Amino acid sequence: MNRILSIVLLLGASISLHAQVDSLATDTLVEEEDFSMYDNVDFADPGVKRFCTSKVLDLSPAKFITIGYDYQARHQLNSGAYNASILNTTINYPGQSTAIKSSGGPRFNANIPVISRNNIIIQLGANYLQNDYTLVNPVDRNPAQNPILYPPMQQTIEESTLRSMGFSATVFKPLNERQFLILQASQDWNGDYNFGDFQDMHMPTFSAAGIFGWKPSDRKMIGFGATRNYRAGELNYIPVFLLNWTAPSRKWGVEILAPARGHYRRTFSSRSLLLIGYELEGNSYVLSKPSVFQESESTFVLRRSELRFRAVYERSIKSFIWLSWQVGYRYNYSYNVDELADGQDFFRGFFGEQPFAIENDLTNSFYTMFTINLVSP
Amino acid sequence: MMKRMILFFAMALMLPVFASAQDANADKLVGVWEPSHGKARVKVEKIGTKFYGKIVWLKEPNDPETGKPKVDKNNPEEALRNTPLKGYRLLKDFIYKGNKEWSEGTIYDPENGSTYKCVIRMKDDNTLEIRGYIGVEALGRTDVWKRLEIKK
Repeated sequence: MNRILSIVLLLGASISLHAQVDSLATDTLVEEEDFSMYDNVDFADPGVKRFCTSKVLDLSPAKFITIGYDYQARHQLNSGAYNASILNTTINYPGQSTAIKSSGGPRFNANIPVISRNNIIIQLGANYLQNDYTLVNPVDRNPAQNPILYPPMQQTIEESTLRSMGFSATVFKPLNERQFLILQASQDWNGDYNFGDFQDMHMPTFSAAGIFGWKPSDRKMIGFGATRNYRAGELNYIPVFLLNWTAPSRKWGVEILAPARGHYRRTFSSRSLLLIGYELEGNSYVLSKPSVFQESESTFVLRRSELRFRAVYERSIKSFIWLSWQVGYRYNYSYNVDELADGQDFFRGFFGEQPFAIENDLTNSFYTMFTINLVSP
Repeated sequence: MMKRMILFFAMALMLPVFASAQDANADKLVGVWEPSHGKARVKVEKIGTKFYGKIVWLKEPNDPETGKPKVDKNNPEEALRNTPLKGYRLLKDFIYKGNKEWSEGTIYDPENGSTYKCVIRMKDDNTLEIRGYIGVEALGRTDVWKRLEIKK
C-alpha cells in the first residue's frame, strides 16, 4: 500500500512541478544568463543565404484591408463645348458651368500576401472606389424626351457615379542582403457603369511598374524604375523613384514613390504618425451613360486626374486596427474627354498634340478622407 | 489486486515516456535560431510541455539614442518599457501538434510592440517557417528562421 501511495505522490509531484514551470514560463522577463556564448555561431546549414526584407524601420504600416470614405467640398465643373455628329447632323453643345455641392464616395482596398518568404513576397490586391456628385441646383430633365439639349458632361455628373474597380499583383524579390526588385501589375475597370449594367469588358486599363533598388540599412531603401500608368488621367510611361528613409533619431523620415506620392513622416510613437505630402490619383473612365454618347459609335473616355496635397494622421486604436484621417486640397490636373473613333485607346503622353473632344475644367476644392485599416504584421 | 494497481500506475507514469518517444520531432524546435533579418538570435526552450523563445543576441545591442542596452520601449504596457530586450521572451506557449508543427502560441514584435498569433512549421531540421498572423492565418506574414550552432 505504501508503494502505491509513493507512486501516486510521485505522479502528483510531477504534475505539480510541470504546472509550476508552466506558470513561470509565462513571465516575460527571463532570468539572467551569460549571453556571450551566442556571439560566435555558425549556421547549421552551411549554404544559408540572407536576403533584405521589404520593411524599413518606422515606415507607415502596410495595410491588409482598408475601408474608407472620401468627401470633396464645393467646387464647379466648367464643361467645354462639344460638337457631336449624329445622323449626319452636327450638334453644337455650348460650354456650361455646373456648381457641385460635394462629391466623393466609399473606397475599399485589400492587399493580401499569398506567398511570404524570405526570398520572395507576392501580394494580390483588389480595390474599389466610387465618386458621386451632388449638385447645388439639380435640374430635373428627361434625356429620353430631349437628348439633344442635354450636354453630356452635365448628364454624367448629375446622373452617374464614376466607379473604379480592379485587381493587382505585387512581387517583392530580394536578390541578396542589399538589392531587391519590385514588380507590380494591375488591371482596372473604370467608368460610369452600374453593377447591374457593367461596362464593356474590352476597355480595362492596365498598369505596371518595375523598380530595382538597394537597402543599405534598416532605415533606408532606395530604388529606380519605370512605370506605365494612368495616374495623369491617360496612359503614360514615366520613370519612378523610390525612397523610404528614417532619420537616425527615428522621429521623422520620408516615404516617396515619385511621381505617384511623396510624404514627410513625423513619428510620434510606434502607434501614431503624421504624413504631410501629396498623392497623384487618376485613371481613364469610359463614359457610356450620356445620351449623346450612346447615339455615337465612338467610345468616350474621361481622363480624370487630381493632385491631392494632404496631411494624414494615422493611429492604432486597437493593436492591428488603425484609423487614418486625411485633410487636404484637391487640385484638378485633368478632367477632359477623348473620343475614340475605333474604340481603341491611344498614347498621347505629355507632348502629344491630339485634341480632346471636350476640354473641361473642374475647379479645385478642399477634401477629407477617413479610413479604417487592418494593418500587416 | 495490489499487483494490478501497481501495474496500472506504473503504466500511467510511463505514458508520457511513450508519447515523447513517439513524437521525437517535438523537441527538434529546441535550439538557437536566426530570423531572416539577421538582427537577433533566438533560443527556443521547452518548459514543461510548451515551447518558448527568448532573444539571446542582438546585432545592435545598444540603443543609438541612449547608448544603453536596448529595452522594450514600444511595449503597450508602460511598466514593461524598461525591460531589457536581451533575454526577452518573444515566442510563448507553443504546443507541438504533430507533423512538425507548433501552434497556439504568440510572437511579439519589439519593433512595434504588437503580439501576433503564430504557427511554426519545420521545413527541415535547420529551417523554420514562422507565420505571425491576425485572426486567421491568411492575414499574416511568414519569416524563415535558420538554426545556428554555437562554436566551441
